[in-house]
Amino acid sequence: MDPLANVCSNFEQVGQAFVSHYYNTFDANRSHLGQLYKDEVSMLNFEHSAERPGQYKGVSAILSKIQSLPFQQVKHHVITIDCQPTPGGGVIVMVCGNLLVDAEQIPQKFSQVFQLLPSGNGSFYILNDIFRLNIG
Amino acid sequence: MAAQTPTLKLILVGDGGTGKTTFVKRHLTGEFEKKYLPTVGVAVHPLEFTTNCGPIRFDCWDTAGQEKFGGLRDGYYIHGQCAIIMFDVTSRTTYKNVPTWHRDITRVCEDIPIVLCGNKVDVRNRQVRAKTITFHRKKNLQYYELSAKSNYNFEKPFLYLARKLAGDPNLQFVESVALAPPEVMIDPAELAKYEAELASAAAQPLPDEDDELNDA
Repeated sequence: MDPLANVCSNFEQVGQAFVSHYYNTFDANRSHLGQLYKDEVSMLNFEHSAERPGQYKGVSAILSKIQSLPFQQVKHHVITIDCQPTPGGGVIVMVCGNLLVDAEQIPQKFSQVFQLLPSGNGSFYILNDIFRLNIG
Repeated sequence: MAAQTPTLKLILVGDGGTGKTTFVKRHLTGEFEKKYLPTVGVAVHPLEFTTNCGPIRFDCWDTAGQEKFGGLRDGYYIHGQCAIIMFDVTSRTTYKNVPTWHRDITRVCEDIPIVLCGNKVDVRNRQVRAKTITFHRKKNLQYYELSAKSNYNFEKPFLYLARKLAGDPNLQFVESVALAPPEVMIDPAELAKYEAELASAAAQPLPDEDDELNDA
């Protein structure tokens, strides 16, 4: 069976539009990001490690993590966006960029991967979200 | 030829917003000569002090805010020779997270001298009382209260670490370092009260909890 039988044909536009919306919302009011995740289904890894676990499942756990991040201001500056279609009409998106928090003068490099799935009404939700600071 | 100044890697950790960068920037030549290491996202401040045994330099590692996202990478800790854990006496959460920072240091660096610092004692609205600060006694760390903005006790952690690392409890700093001018003044009566509370807390028996990580 063709894994991409019902491929998302405009995956590039979907990915680009999503990235723009996601980071604009994150930087303006991250409490509004909840509507981009789905119920108990969505997953987030945020700087996860065995010593300091950072895996979250479901909208409320994910949103509470994002809201509890201890900075007042954040600005994401996206540098690259890569998109590919995935089975079931999904889109996988990888983002690289810089971010600045609060009064820091030095931007930090980050990368983030999203798996987007169609929600059935022409829109998409985030199934998987993996965030990393790109530091050695 | 002058002998090279003994140089030690000092790891500065603690929750975001506790004043680590404010603290390290007080030392003016260190601030002028700091170097940024982009691959690890760290500013290294060379903090020089003159002791009765000659000069000593702490290469003080300060993050660019990565701790606001979670823990730091092992590369931040590797080859660390001494450490400062900072919390904010106006925020209980930052004290509650001290055991996690201590564990992160000792996981990579094992047995290095560590100073616990409670910063912002100039702020009126103090939330972490001296008698509740017991972690350093359980783990055999030195504890100092600081006010980075007023330079109160700025040199204390460095003097303690220099003495430990030199193995000389009588080592002294013989020249004062150039510090940024104080931005706030602390009420001397308030300071005297805090110092008395610290002395009284040090005389109390330790509470029973075995492992603060489990309580946190």
